[in-house]
Amino acid sequence: MATWQIAVILVKIFLIVGLFQGAVAYMILLERKIAAWAQDRIGPNRCGPLGLLQPLADGAKMLLKEDVIPGYVNKPLYILAPAIAIVMATIGFAVVPFGPAGLDAPTVNGNPIHFQIAPNVDIGILYVFAIGSLAVYAVILGGYASNNKYSFLGGLRNSAQIISYEIPLGLSVLGMVMLARSLELNDVMSWQDRNGLGPIPAWGVFVQPLAFLIFLVSAFAETNRLPFDLAEAEQELVGGFHTEYSAMKFGMFFLGEYLHVITVSFLTVILFFGGWDAPFLGVEDTSWIAAVLKVGVIFFKVTLMVIFIMWIRWTLPRFRYDQLMNLAWKALIPLALLNLVVTMVLIQLFRGVG
Amino acid sequence: MPTPPTTRPEWTIPIDPALQAELEKHVLVTSWDELLGVVDTIYNWGRRSALWPLGFGLACCGIEMICTASSRFDIARFGAEVFRGSPRQADVMIVSGTVTKTMMPMIARLYDQMPEPKYVISMGACASGGGPFKEGYNVVSGIDKFLPVDVYVPGCPPTPQALLNGLIALQRKIDGERLDIPALGRKGNTPWYDPEVDRDIPVPVFGPDLIDVRTLELTAERAAAGLLDAREAALPRPALIPAPRPEAPGPAPDAAAEPSPAPAAEQRAMSKIELIRARSRGEAVPGASAPTSAGKPAARPSKKLKVAPARPSLVWLGDEGLAELASRLDAELGSGTATIVRAALLVPAEKLLDVAFFLRDRNPIRYDYLASLQSVHYEDCIEVNYHLDSTARPGSLIELRVRTAEAEGAGEVPSVISVWPGADFQEREVFDMMGVRFAGHPNLTRILMWEGFAYHPLRKDYLEPYYEAPAKVFPSRIDDGQGQHRRAEELNPFGSNVKIPRSFSGWDRLDPAADVKGAGRMPEGTGVDVQELDTDQFVLSIGPQHPSTHGVFRMNLRVDGETVVGLKPVMGYMHRNHEKIGERNTFLMNFPFTDRLDYFTSMLNNFGYALAVEQLMGDDAKVPERAEYIRVIMAELNRIASHMWSIGFLLNDLGAFFTPALYAIEERELILDLFEWAAGSRMMCNYFRFGGVAFDLPPGWLDRCRAIVSDRLDRKIDELDRLLSENEIFKDRSRGVGLLSREQAIAYSAAGPVLRASNVPYDIRRAAPYSIYDRFDFEVVTGTGCDVYDRYYVRLLEMRESVRILKQALRDLPEGPILPGKKSYQIKVPAGEAYSRVENAKGELGFYVVADGGPTAYRYHVRSPSFINLTALETMCLGHTVADVVGILGSLDIVLGEVDR
Ligand code: SF4
Repeated sequence: MATWQIAVILVKIFLIVGLFQGAVAYMILLERKIAAWAQDRIGPNRCGPLGLLQPLADGAKMLLKEDVIPGYVNKPLYILAPAIAIVMATIGFAVVPFGPAGLDAPTVNGNPIHFQIAPNVDIGILYVFAIGSLAVYAVILGGYASNNKYSFLGGLRNSAQIISYEIPLGLSVLGMVMLARSLELNDVMSWQDRNGLGPIPAWGVFVQPLAFLIFLVSAFAETNRLPFDLAEAEQELVGGFHTEYSAMKFGMFFLGEYLHVITVSFLTVILFFGGWDAPFLGVEDTSWIAAVLKVGVIFFKVTLMVIFIMWIRWTLPRFRYDQLMNLAWKALIPLALLNLVVTMVLIQLFRGVG
Repeated sequence: MPTPPTTRPEWTIPIDPALQAELEKHVLVTSWDELLGVVDTIYNWGRRSALWPLGFGLACCGIEMICTASSRFDIARFGAEVFRGSPRQADVMIVSGTVTKTMMPMIARLYDQMPEPKYVISMGACASGGGPFKEGYNVVSGIDKFLPVDVYVPGCPPTPQALLNGLIALQRKIDGERLDIPALGRKGNTPWYDPEVDRDIPVPVFGPDLIDVRTLELTAERAAAGLLDAREAALPRPALIPAPRPEAPGPAPDAAAEPSPAPAAEQRAMSKIELIRARSRGEAVPGASAPTSAGKPAARPSKKLKVAPARPSLVWLGDEGLAELASRLDAELGSGTATIVRAALLVPAEKLLDVAFFLRDRNPIRYDYLASLQSVHYEDCIEVNYHLDSTARPGSLIELRVRTAEAEGAGEVPSVISVWPGADFQEREVFDMMGVRFAGHPNLTRILMWEGFAYHPLRKDYLEPYYEAPAKVFPSRIDDGQGQHRRAEELNPFGSNVKIPRSFSGWDRLDPAADVKGAGRMPEGTGVDVQELDTDQFVLSIGPQHPSTHGVFRMNLRVDGETVVGLKPVMGYMHRNHEKIGERNTFLMNFPFTDRLDYFTSMLNNFGYALAVEQLMGDDAKVPERAEYIRVIMAELNRIASHMWSIGFLLNDLGAFFTPALYAIEERELILDLFEWAAGSRMMCNYFRFGGVAFDLPPGWLDRCRAIVSDRLDRKIDELDRLLSENEIFKDRSRGVGLLSREQAIAYSAAGPVLRASNVPYDIRRAAPYSIYDRFDFEVVTGTGCDVYDRYYVRLLEMRESVRILKQALRDLPEGPILPGKKSYQIKVPAGEAYSRVENAKGELGFYVVADGGPTAYRYHVRSPSFINLTALETMCLGHTVADVVGILGSLDIVLGEVDR
């Protein structure tokens, strides 16, 4: 690998990590603003113009707060847990394309510049899921190491929940994978762009509506957001797994959670909303202008998705633990299987269509 | 931020002053200190803008704190809306409400658990100094006795604006902080970075009273010296009256035969303030007010004491019915079973259970509902009395009396739990407060105070640590403009609200780490079978500081996985001695205290209390028409406000983060505006007076009220209905959860929406109509689901009915006076006994008042619906999950001010 390639990758890493960490801070502000609007309030507005500096204040405070490590915790694990949370949430981005990557990547001197940190991983989806499920360790370890009953319950709930929802989540994307005949996320995107009936694009949400719903529900569960935030469940478990964490360790869990939301939003957009696909953009456009536009489109869609996820949080009540399990095992998994079978059959019947 | 004094670096070379001025003008001259000042600025700015409060409300002030987060006030603007349930993540502790001794160790612990830098805002009179409840035996005289307070917010309660102002004040304080940097020799005011400074607060310990371990030795010394006993010996003691005796059959009781310590009492009533003033000036005091020690009435009455007509409540079985019942009991269970004493049946203790079973199962009117159970300490006995009603024939209320030995700890009465399980907590309360034992009670432990508390505080011979006289105003509080006002702390030899018996010796056994309050309330895992798996169970203590316990309530859960297999409520964390203080307050003075019972429904509480005393006063306090209508209007508005809150927070408990709650609060705010306009205060209205209301409606009030009632409320209720009633998740979470069957609901003495959701159409407004409720057309809403959902739905429909009543009342409101006579501060209440019942938003709210003709109530008891509804909590929760427990508790809609009183 040429040095410049490594340099490009490093630049991309810094860009992405920096961008998303910063984005997370502002997502928290956005969430608070959305909460305020949902509740007919104003929300933070004293810190800088329109409250835009609020995340900085929060960050400054968190960093300067005393970092309590209670005497009764299991110290190594207690410290490890938030680190896992944030690391796993961050490295998941390695294979997520945030613009054109693969065939339609723009070129510099004939060398394609992929808008993706690790462009040649051809099992992108698997990787994202694998990393995503590692994040559960953060919660379990945090809950266990805190030596606190609320944390413990939170950790337990979370492990069961994530393990259960992994299955429908995985099954629901298989349909798209089979259609695109690739596990690589940019292939899925370009498939959606290339196919389609006239003005209607072949976005996942249209060709796999059921899978989309299953994916959405499971994604909420995977990210621990209401109505599935049982691991934190403020009204029941005070803070759930992070009850005993203070200062930046708590902040890291928070960051991890929001990074997760970003990842999930990216996945949703890529798998079911055509990624960068827009009526005037196609795979064939490999110009830089098109690339920039594609990045814009994808970020725009992701933002919408993030807002949607937040909006739900401030609207719905929470499921109960057993209902959550029932939903996964008795509804989502059978439906996902059904969806899979139907998709397979259809693909076989209309070979050549996809 | 305040500009730091511009300190110039030392000019080591003498230079021309003109040159120096020039230099300073055009060249940036700075110092290390100033540069670091920039760091200070950023550091302070970060903390001032992200003050996350610890989410816990102690009492009424806590409600205003929550309102501060609502859309009208929106504390989020300051970045401070992130209420954290865990102290580890909080920056500021808003001590909002009465700090009780039972709660104090928890607060100290929470404070210690918060990471530095941490701040404390003391919100409200109670948190700052004990407030109206200062004289209570379980009240800490201000949080600053233990914690360092940064900002005090005055008010009772402070309005949300005031809290915001407090927050801004705290921000200013933070702005003034300077970092301590020892390496640079910079002195600041951030002691938390100094490892030498120990900022942890020692957790006070439960002994015979709450003991601050920092003053342990001093306290022990003073207790052994008996200083407090010596002081008490010199104080006038409250008089005891003999218990009423059976009267000869015939006309109304002869006043002369009435027991009474009246002369002293009555004369005190007429000129109490003058007397106290005279005494405090050291002048001669009329004989009547001399200390009536040991309860012996000083002299016989010279003129006859006024006696109220004998009746247990306004609507009851009636004299004839009672006589018939007494003879039936005598015939069935042997003569001497029931004697009529002041319109109630006196039953010998050994026959109580027989009588109870007979009344419940065999009597033609089935007395299946134990409305209330309380006790009175008389000169010659302790009387436990029971108010019974029949759900099949509502309005046939009767009262049973059982008497037992007066001496402390000697009394014993059979427990009626087997007949009416609803007696459970009430008997424990009597045990706690009076020391009467209940034979056969399965778990007779202290309920409000802690195990090991040295006294039974409602006994007449128990004097609170700050006691000064049988009735307020206490002499030390009268400031004649001569600087005579003295703080109670100065009078108590311990220097704080502490009373410890001289004989106490277990000083070395005090253990701050012990869970004195919760011990003995650990649930056994019984009754519920969880799956096949062989799993371990553990005990989870939810509360007293927890986001969903609606105040400082605590539940000890035994869980198997997530399934609850045992539950014991632990309460008393907000026991602020309402009843004892009520005995010291003159009748009129007690109104504002009733506001603070169920602080959501001050109007309804006022209503109940007014009715009780009016029942004693009879025609002296005949309420004029206009006042009756105003009362009903206020009561129904209040019911809507309270139900709004309860529905909103039920959803919150089920996980819908505040959004429904905040919409509900918006409507509540509109109603509170009306209250503020008419009564002067949003929450603590103190609006009713004996015989009427305090003020007439201000001009324009009616128009606004009509506008809200006819144009807005219906619409908003529909909106809630549309948004919530059909929500799938909500239905999943609430249908079939927390079942309480019809029979159980009655047996547990459940009341209000909880009872009606179990399909018992029992609403005091219809069952025992008071005021003018019989004139209005409205339905008693019931539900058949017996679950959380139906409790929610009953509340929703009840709001509709309230709107209906309001429309009628607003239409018919007549002109006229609002009080029977002139405003008066000297209320004469005839001797007697009364129990008033009103349908509060939570259920049947009862006030039991025994008057001896004096200026204060001889005994004052509140039948609190929240408290009694909790009796059924355990039954409802077993077998459900932890998440359901929170929802079930939410569906009971308890208010801790009323639970613990
Ligand atoms: S009585 Fe209630 S409202 Fe008043 S200061 Fe105390 S807690 Fe606050």
